[in-house]
Formats: sequence, C-alpha cells, structure tokens
Amino acid sequence: MNPVSTEMSVCVSDVTASYPNGNVALRAASFALEGGAICALVGVNGSGKSTLFKAIMGLLKPTAGTVTIAGRPVKAALKENLVAYVPQSEEVDWSFPVSVWDVVLMGRYGYMNFMRTPRAEDRRIAEESLVRVGMLEFRERQIGELSGGQRKRVFLARALAQRGRVILLDEPFTGVDVNTETAIIALLRELRAAGHIILVSTHNLGSVPEFCDHVVLINRTVLAAGPIAEVFTEENLQRTFGGALRHFRFDESTVQNHDGRAVTLLTDDERPLVFGKGGHVEYSKRAEHAEILKKRTEREGDD
Amino acid sequence: MIETLLTPLQYDYMLKAIFLSGVIGGVCAFLSCFITLKGWSLMGDALSHSVVPGVAVAYYAGWPFAAGAFVTGLLAAVGMGFVKANTRLREDAVIGVVFTAFFALGLLLISLYPSQVDLRSIVFGNILGISNPDIVQVLIISGVTLLVLGFKWRDLLLFCFDPNQARALGLNTTVLHFTLLTLLSATAVAALQTVGACLVVAMLVTPGATAYLLTDRFGKMIGIAMSMGVGSSIVGAYVSYFFDGSTGGCIVTLQSALFVAALVFAPKHGLIGQRARRRAAALGAGATEAAT
Repeated sequence: MNPVSTEMSVCVSDVTASYPNGNVALRAASFALEGGAICALVGVNGSGKSTLFKAIMGLLKPTAGTVTIAGRPVKAALKENLVAYVPQSEEVDWSFPVSVWDVVLMGRYGYMNFMRTPRAEDRRIAEESLVRVGMLEFRERQIGELSGGQRKRVFLARALAQRGRVILLDEPFTGVDVNTETAIIALLRELRAAGHIILVSTHNLGSVPEFCDHVVLINRTVLAAGPIAEVFTEENLQRTFGGALRHFRFDESTVQNHDGRAVTLLTDDERPLVFGKGGHVEYSKRAEHAEILKKRTEREGDD
Repeated sequence: MIETLLTPLQYDYMLKAIFLSGVIGGVCAFLSCFITLKGWSLMGDALSHSVVPGVAVAYYAGWPFAAGAFVTGLLAAVGMGFVKANTRLREDAVIGVVFTAFFALGLLLISLYPSQVDLRSIVFGNILGISNPDIVQVLIISGVTLLVLGFKWRDLLLFCFDPNQARALGLNTTVLHFTLLTLLSATAVAALQTVGACLVVAMLVTPGATAYLLTDRFGKMIGIAMSMGVGSSIVGAYVSYFFDGSTGGCIVTLQSALFVAALVFAPKHGLIGQRARRRAAALGAGATEAAT
C-alpha cells in the first residue's frame, strides 16, 4: 500500500530517448516536480511530449538519463501502483466488450491476487471512485454507449481506483463537454490538495493557466519548466512553438479604441490564451485568481 | 431411424473423433475471443500454416508432432516480428511473406519424403484416423491452454484492451504477449489434427467473431463462443459420418452458418437490428435520446 504521508515527487533527469531508426525524440530532458502539483506538458505534435509521457510510465526505456518517482526507479514505482494513466480517447477501442464497472475494476488489478479476483475492498473502492466522478448509475453500460465526457470520467475513475499518486492525463479535454471539463478540473484540484502529482499533456494552451500551476515546455528537449507565472510567458511559448502559433493582437486589430465597451473573444472548444499588455497571462475568471491579480497590481504599483 | 442416427456412436473411432473435436473446438473458441479482440486473426492464419514444416520434420525425426510444430510456429512468429521491426513493410505484407514461406517449405518437405506423412491429413486434417499418442498430445495441449486461460484471462483481457494500462500496473506485457502467441501456436497445432492447416484459422476466429456480434460483455462472449465451438465441432464430426465428407469441412461450414445467422439476426449488432435502430432513430431521434 502507499503510505499517504510520503512526499510524492517526479524527477526526470537528462533523459534522452530515440526511436529504433536512430532519430532522437528527446534529448537531455530534465525537470522535477514535488507533491501537490498540476503540471502541463506543452509542445507541438512530435515535440517529444508523448515520448516523455511514455518514459514516465515505463513504456519506453530512455537511452540515457533516469526517471525516478518518489525516489524509486519507474519499474519499482509501477509495482507499487503509484502511477495511474488516463489514455487519450483515440487510443481506446470503444467497441470492446467491457462495461464501465469492468474498466474501473481494472484499476485494482495491481492489488488483486494471481487470478485478479476482486475482493470486497476492491469493489468498495471501485464504487467509491465511480461515485466521485458521478458515473455510478452507468456502471453496467458498455463503454461505447457513453458520451465523450462520460468516457473520460470512467477512465479517471479507473485512475482513482488504482490509488495512483502520480496521474498522467493525455489530452483530457479533447471531445469533452464543458460541464465535464469543469468537473474534471475540480477533481484534479482535490487530488492536488491531497498531495498528488497530476501531469497533463495538452496542446490546448488556453486551458493551461486555468487549472495548472506548473508547466513543462517541450520541443525535442525541455525548454523551460517551473511555475506558470515564471515559465508560461509569451517569449517561452514562441520558442516552444516556433512559428506554429496563430496570433491575434488586439492593439493591431480593429478592436482598439474601444471607449469603455467590452471586447469579447469567442473561440470553439479550445480556450484562448490571452496575454495582457504587461506580458502576463490573463485569466477568464477574475474571482478565482484574486490573489494573482492582487500581486500584480501591487507590483505595478511599485513600478 | 434412431438406429441409423446411433450408428456412428457404435464405432470407437467415431466416438474418439467426436470427443476430441469437441475438446479442441472448445479450447479454440475460448482463445478465439482474445484473438478477435486483439486483432490477431491474420496472425492465427499465419501460425497455423507455419507449423506445417515442423509437423513434417517431427514425423521424420520421431519426435512428438506438437514439439516440431511448436518450434516452427514460434520461429515464424519471431521471424515476422523481426522483419516488421527492421523493415518499412506493413504488417500484412510481412505476415503474407513469412507464413507462405514456411508453408511452402512444409509442402516441399512432405512431397520429398512422402512415405511417412500424409500431406492430406496435415492440410485437411484427419481426426478419424488420429493415433493414440497424438490424442494424448492434443489433450495435454488443450488442458494446459484451458488452465492458462482460466487463470490469466483477466490479465490477457487487459492486455488486449489497454496494454499501456497493463504496463502502468506493473504487469509484464512482454510475457503476456508471448503467452498469447504460445497459446495460439499450441492450439493451432491441436486444431491441425481436426480440421487441417487450411481451416484452423476458422476454429480460432469464427466462434469469437460470432459471439462478439451477439454480446457486449466479455464473460458472455466466452460462454457463447465456447458453446458454439464445442457444439459445432461435436455435431460437425458426428454429421460427417453420414456425408462421408471431410470432418473439418463439416465443422467449419456449421460455424460459418452460425456466424451468418448472428450477422443477420443478432439483436443489437446484427444487420436487421441495426437497420431497425437506424429507422427508429430517424423517426423519433429526440424522443429516444431523452429516454436513455
């Protein structure tokens, strides 16, 4: 069992990984996280994001460097059920003949005996996990009969049932309705408060400052890593994405001189990432980020 | 009438054939659930052909046929893995090249030394003339396969469904991969005796595929597939006495007929069911959505 008291940590140091054909996917990547963090892994497709994910999950052995979880090598951490994973929706075969309940119980395999027969304890925890994501009433459904948001919740419940302390989510908000997104974010915050480390791989920039506190920027290596306020800057993002980002500059656009009327920015399901005039990240809800705003006004006052 | 129906059961060889077919049919059907879900149907076809040179060599050398078959089966599997990992070829091309190479080698060997092995019985099966040592081998293979599947089906299911999760839980997926591959080669060898190399793949795919059309639950899928495998094999072997036809042909024809029936009449995933649902959805899209 995992003693909850132990400090959780993920430490990636000098990890280099290459494909069988010799191409290097990731070179000398390093970053470290301490327990109680939601960290986004940000980078374009092919930047080595998923390679890094795989290295942390032990799916891939780095050609150089090490990954340690709670001070242990990945393999030992996996044996202790420390690492849970929520797959990208495209990776799952939704027509597979398993029910919601079956999937959540799969999270308990690491605690079960040789034949993987669930004990009362496993059933209780699986049920509790389903309640936590609000999916208990769907337990007998075949997984393909669920909506995009419900599907995501089921796999999140599996990660909860596993009692993983490092949880990896691959593109968690793709194909997910807004309600589910809010619910997932709330749940991730609860987990962070309980000392877990949540790693989220995403290319949805706008969502990053909304719910993450740390960020790792990746382009074939780790370009920058640390707290959002320090690392998630326009300059760093330019380096991460090269020319691959679209720009919408308000001061060059037709919306300038707006004499007191509000400017509304609408996007599709992806959240917009907005930088303020001082180069800081703008948040969509002022109330949730009162602290940050206060600091910012103080700092601006000092200037 | 009844006397005629009972005649096959008066012969020892018929009783043996019916019993063995049932056993092999059941084991293959159990495994077929994993094979269809893993997407290894082509692999099953390939392995069942690749065991032929092994069977030929084993007969000359006086080894148990299963040992020889097993070796070439695994050699083929490893060969396919190697070629795929080291070339730019797609998997279907690799499988096509490797298994036909093995099968051709087998045919060549058998035709060069025809006195010892009968080509027909390898390619088309000869359950009616199976020898006692061969029966023992088939029973051992079936017993071991059933045990492994019975104990480890949940691990194998997770391996088929979400190998990454299996890894994240600390399961050894390489071992699971080779377990499934080994069971596949072993049952292919056993089924070779009943229906022959050409039709083994049917025993290893059709029951699972049929059951998959009929249910959305893995437990039920195993139940349906196994009853179908055992039932069709027993009936097929029995009926072949009257037709004086190929046992393998009878069994697989029966299984295919059951598949077609499921394809058309399966309540949810069958053609009729799907059409009905599509019509219902078109008629009252809003109403049905709200109800569910």
